[in-house]
Amino acid sequence: MKTWKRFEHVNAKSVDEAASILKDGNARVIAGGTDILGAMRFEILPDYPEVLVNLKSVSGLEYIREEAGMLKIGALTRLEDIAKSDVVRERYTALAEAAHKTASPHIREMGTIGGNICQFTRCWYFRLPDNRFNCLRKGGRKCYAMMGDNRYHSIFGAAKGCIAVNPSDTAPALVALDAKIKTNRRVIEAEKFWEVSKPGSTILDAGEIVTEIQVPTPVKRVKSAFIKFTIRKSIDFPIVNCAAMIGTDDARICLNAVYNTPCRIPASEALIKGKPISEKRADAAGAAAIEKAKVLPGERNKWKIQLARTMVKRAILNCD
Amino acid sequence: MSEKDKRSEEEKRKKGFGHLSRREFLKDAGLVIGGTTMGSVALAAGAESPKQTEESAPAEVPGTRTSADAGTIELTVNGGKYRFHVEPNWSLRQLLRDEIGLTSPKDWCGGQGACGSCTVIMDGRPVLSCMTLACECDGAVIETSEGIAKAEHPIIDAYIKHNAFQCGYCTPGFVNSSKALLDRNPNPTEADVRDALAGNLCRCGTYQQHPPAVLEAAEALKKA
Repeated sequence: MKTWKRFEHVNAKSVDEAASILKDGNARVIAGGTDILGAMRFEILPDYPEVLVNLKSVSGLEYIREEAGMLKIGALTRLEDIAKSDVVRERYTALAEAAHKTASPHIREMGTIGGNICQFTRCWYFRLPDNRFNCLRKGGRKCYAMMGDNRYHSIFGAAKGCIAVNPSDTAPALVALDAKIKTNRRVIEAEKFWEVSKPGSTILDAGEIVTEIQVPTPVKRVKSAFIKFTIRKSIDFPIVNCAAMIGTDDARICLNAVYNTPCRIPASEALIKGKPISEKRADAAGAAAIEKAKVLPGERNKWKIQLARTMVKRAILNCD
Repeated sequence: MSEKDKRSEEEKRKKGFGHLSRREFLKDAGLVIGGTTMGSVALAAGAESPKQTEESAPAEVPGTRTSADAGTIELTVNGGKYRFHVEPNWSLRQLLRDEIGLTSPKDWCGGQGACGSCTVIMDGRPVLSCMTLACECDGAVIETSEGIAKAEHPIIDAYIKHNAFQCGYCTPGFVNSSKALLDRNPNPTEADVRDALAGNLCRCGTYQQHPPAVLEAAEALKKA
C-alpha cells in the first residue's frame, strides 16, 4: 500500500483556529478523511498539503436538530447518521435517501456531509495518481477528457473549459430542498455553492470552512425523492443522480453528475409546477431536462443523456 | 520492518522455526516490533534526565510533530490498552498490523476505501482502518477480528458453519462489519445484513452465504 508523504497534523480546537491555519499556507482540513486522504495518498494534487487541520477535535459540529422551521445539520455529522435519522427520513426524504445511497456503509460511517459537498471531482484524468495529467483544474492548459475517454463526463458542456462532473449525492438533494450552507463567514444558497475552482469544486475562499447545513422545513403535502444510477448497488459514485421536491404549487428538480455543478432544471420544473403528477407529465419533464444536452467529442457520453431523462422522470414519479 | 524484510527474515529462520506457519511467524514478529516501540515510548514519555532523552527521544524530522506528547496516543485494542508514539502519516491499519501485530485488517484496494477488507470497529462504528489516521485515534476503542474470535462471538461459528468464505482474505472485514451490525441491531433482517455488508468485497463470490450466517449469529446471541 502506498503510504502518505509526510505532513504535519494539527488538532484544531475551534473553527477560527482551523481557518487561520488554512489561510496561512498550504493546508487542508480533514473531517471524515475519505476524500482528502485518498487524494493525498495517490498524490493527485499539484501541491501536496503540508498541514492537515483536524476538525473532529472541534466540539459541537456534529448534530441534527429541527428548530425555527429549519433542519440544522452540523458539518461534521456523518452521512450514516443523517441516513438513519427519523426526522430527516420523514420530512427531508431526498436528503436521507441521498445520504443513504452515498458510497459504502463504511465510508458513510466516516464521511461527513460537509466533506461530501466539498469533495474533489472524480474525473479520472484529474484523479490519476502522481498528478500525471496537469489539467485545467490543476492550473494546466488542457482538458484531457475533452478529446480523451469522457464517457462519464458532462452532458451540458464545459465550465471554464473543464468537463468533469460533481460527484456528490447529497448536493442535488440540498439544492432540491432549497438548503443553505453556512460557513464561518457567510450563509450561501446551496444553488450557488458550487463552481469550478482550482482544484476544488466550491466557491469557498481560503480559510473558509462549512459549519452547518440549513434546510427549510417543507410545508405539509410536499414530497421529495432522490434517485441515482450506478453500475453496482453500493460503493459507486453516481453516473447520473437526481433529486426532486414537489409540492402543490412548487417544484424543484436538480440533476447532478451531469455538469461541473449540480444543475437545477427550470424547464422540467415549469411542466410540473402546480399540476398533478402523472406518468405522461413526468416523461415530458424528463424530455425537457435534456433539451440543451449535448454529446462531447467522440460521443462516448451519449448514453448519459438518456439516463438523465429517465432519472428526472423517476425522481418526479417517486414524489407522488 | 517492511513486509518484504519480514519475508526474507522468515526464509532465513525457516529451518530453525520449521514448526511455525508463516502467519504465526508474522504475528510473533509483529509482537516483537510492537514491544520495542512501546518500550521506546515509555522511555521517551518519562524521559526527564538528559541522558535518556539523548538515547531514546524520537528523531526530529522536518514536517512532523516535534513534541513527543503531540504524537502520543493511547487507545484500547481488543480490550488491551496501548500507548504509542505515532507519526502523522501513519494509518490505523499500519499501527494495528505493524506495531501491535494484528494481521486481520487487510490491504486489498491499496488504500482507496473501495474494498472493506481493512474494516475494524472503532467506537462501535465499522470504519476503514486504511483511511483513518492513527494520530486521530487517541482515546479510541478498537475491535478487530482477533478480539471477536477470542471472545468466542457466535458470528465466528456461524461463518464457519455456512462456509461464508473461500480464500479467507476478505473474511475479517466481513466479520467486523457483521459484528458492528449485530451490536447495534440485535434483530436484523436479511435486507439489513445485505446493506451493512455492501461495502465489503469478496472476489471468491461468497456473498450468498453471508446473510444466513449473520442471521444465525443473531439468533444465537439472543439465546445466549
